[in-house]
Amino acid sequence: MSRQMTAVAALAATALALTACGRDDEGSDGEAAPAEEISEGPATGNIEVWAMGTEGEGLGAFLAGFEEENPDVTVEVTPVPWEGAHDRIATAIAAGETPDVSLIGTTWMGEFAETGGLEPTPTDLFSEDDFFPGPWASTVVDGTSYGVPWYVETRALFYRTDLAQQAGLEPPTTWDDLKTFAQGLQQAGAQQGIYLQPGQGGSWQTFMPFAWQNGATLTDGDAYTLDSPEMIEALEYYTSYFTEGLSQNTVLQPGALEQMFADGTIGSFISGPWHIGLVRDAGATDNFDVVPLPGRDEAPGASFVGGGNLAVFTDSDNKDGAWKLIEYLTQVEVQQSWYEAITDLPSMPAAWEDGPLTEDELVATFGEQLEHTEAPPAVPTWEQVASVIDTDIEAAVRGTMSAADAVADMQSQASSIGTGLQ
Amino acid sequence: MPAVATTRDGPDAPGGAGMSARRGRPRGTPLQRRQARTAWLLAVPFLLLFAAFTAGPVFASLFMSFTDMRSTDLRTPLNVELAGLDNYTQLFSDPLFRKVAVNTAIFVVVGVPLTMVLALAAAVGLNGIQRLRGFFRLGYYLPVVTSIVAVAVVWRFLLQPDTGPINQLLGVVGIDGPDWLGSTSLALPSLIVMAAWRNLGTLMVIFLAGLQTVPREMLEAAEVDGAGRWQRFRYVTLPLLRPTLLFGAVITGIGYLQFFEEPYVMTRGGPLNSTRSVSFYIYDHFGFGNYGYAAAASYVLFVAIVVLTALQFRLLRPKT
Repeated sequence: MSRQMTAVAALAATALALTACGRDDEGSDGEAAPAEEISEGPATGNIEVWAMGTEGEGLGAFLAGFEEENPDVTVEVTPVPWEGAHDRIATAIAAGETPDVSLIGTTWMGEFAETGGLEPTPTDLFSEDDFFPGPWASTVVDGTSYGVPWYVETRALFYRTDLAQQAGLEPPTTWDDLKTFAQGLQQAGAQQGIYLQPGQGGSWQTFMPFAWQNGATLTDGDAYTLDSPEMIEALEYYTSYFTEGLSQNTVLQPGALEQMFADGTIGSFISGPWHIGLVRDAGATDNFDVVPLPGRDEAPGASFVGGGNLAVFTDSDNKDGAWKLIEYLTQVEVQQSWYEAITDLPSMPAAWEDGPLTEDELVATFGEQLEHTEAPPAVPTWEQVASVIDTDIEAAVRGTMSAADAVADMQSQASSIGTGLQ
Repeated sequence: MPAVATTRDGPDAPGGAGMSARRGRPRGTPLQRRQARTAWLLAVPFLLLFAAFTAGPVFASLFMSFTDMRSTDLRTPLNVELAGLDNYTQLFSDPLFRKVAVNTAIFVVVGVPLTMVLALAAAVGLNGIQRLRGFFRLGYYLPVVTSIVAVAVVWRFLLQPDTGPINQLLGVVGIDGPDWLGSTSLALPSLIVMAAWRNLGTLMVIFLAGLQTVPREMLEAAEVDGAGRWQRFRYVTLPLLRPTLLFGAVITGIGYLQFFEEPYVMTRGGPLNSTRSVSFYIYDHFGFGNYGYAAAASYVLFVAIVVLTALQFRLLRPKT
């Protein structure tokens, strides 16, 4: 058992034992309080920031520019590994010992906002219109925004140009095209025309774009709405790739996908911008391209959007400085140089219009795709429902359940889990 | 976690030596009383640490299992409702929980005897040789101290469907090897074999120590009486080894009931939850933020561990 997890549980349990019980009937702690006024002038004081992964490693040095603009400020960046970051933030919120700012995975927003541990976004400082709509939606919990999109990632279609040329095919724009395309790549020599994740952790990120393209929705704002004919049709379309032998029905080991794509075993796949580098490292250089996802009847289709948001904690002692730091990180030029520093994709359309992001055509494709994205709902129980969807996708792909039964099972489990919003 | 507490079964778990003394309670000879005093004295540091750092959270988590606490209540843990036995009834009506319970049961029922038989065979083999004993002992023990992550990388490679050495070996004799970790019926058995390989070292060392305590004269006497190798092992060695076997069964049983690392690094619980264990399920639910529910599942696992251990004590206790 994870130590972190045990710590959270123990802490929560202790806190529980020390206090009396009884959930308030009228509303909860998740209710939005009006955002505090942000002062004029430069930021001051100490700002503690948590960031995960590459962001955590790069951010400290990157913020030299911010400290120059605000001489009275000291920024302290703590890198936190992604593994265990969720529990660490949860523990910090429970103990009231949070940093001022943290990077928060988009799918965690619902849960943390609902605890009351995050500050509502000051709307006078940040405008929804400056950001891509999908990423902005990931910050909104029950009608209130609790953070600002920092960087984004979305999924597009990678394919081997040499195989496509051999098959005489143009990049697909519709579902029918995509099927023909995969068959063509296979005839041109690939063992698998397309690799679609056949289940297990995160396979909803590959499947849901097809459902969204078909008009399916995850929630109506209050409840999960998974069992729609659109969802069933999308799952049937998805599973047809496995029954027709165009994609393998077992999950690839990490690292295998890039290798198999580079040596032509796999003709195409759907993934995010980080795969550009991985595929090049694996040996494919000029023989692949990236295009936006096909739609059901016309391109481009909707894709999944993820990434990281920046949020300020209720227990922060320096909310003023914290929001100013976030404001700095969401300036167009800063977003562009952040891309140059660690290739994080900017969350603001303006940052894509000129400068470094227009230089690499493959990267620019993701900018195009970002205009057509959907985010998973920002509700506290999303991760649990996502794992239900993953399992049902796997069951449908392996043929142990029909698509209709799988979707019905998703819905019945999701309904009993509930959205977790009060 | 509650399960932790069970690994400390008190002074009489290893070897079962203290069992008969306990039967004679409450007042014994002055010597026994003095021994009891010393035992308590030695236990005091642990008891103090336990009371200060573990007892509170353990009882609080038990209480938590009767509430509807979620991660969204973190800042206001007083805002939860008492849920009575709801978490427990919900747990037993969840088909996934029933599935992981069956998986865990299979893992224990097959894995514990398999590991013990292999470890005993290795121990008896090593006990019979003089040269290279240290070398083999090290070899069998190495998997125990190797990081599970490294072990997983190697085993995943071994079990690869097309390029893995196991299937290539099978190919030589004309068998088309299956996709071990990708099949819902073979993934769990694969993990059981891997766990047995990984854990047999510890048991082997314990059994080896137990074998050294078997008096040579007794074996010689049996030999003089005309007992063959197997009979000597079956009727002399094995009965004398009983307390050691009990200890081995208990610690392996406790460990296997909580198995988590193997599926976590090898299969992520898949395919189709066929390798998901109860511990994994609990881990998931803590991750989903269902604290009350996950605490309830932890206590169900705790009770299962207590029951299994009690059962092993009954079955394997030394006959007097």
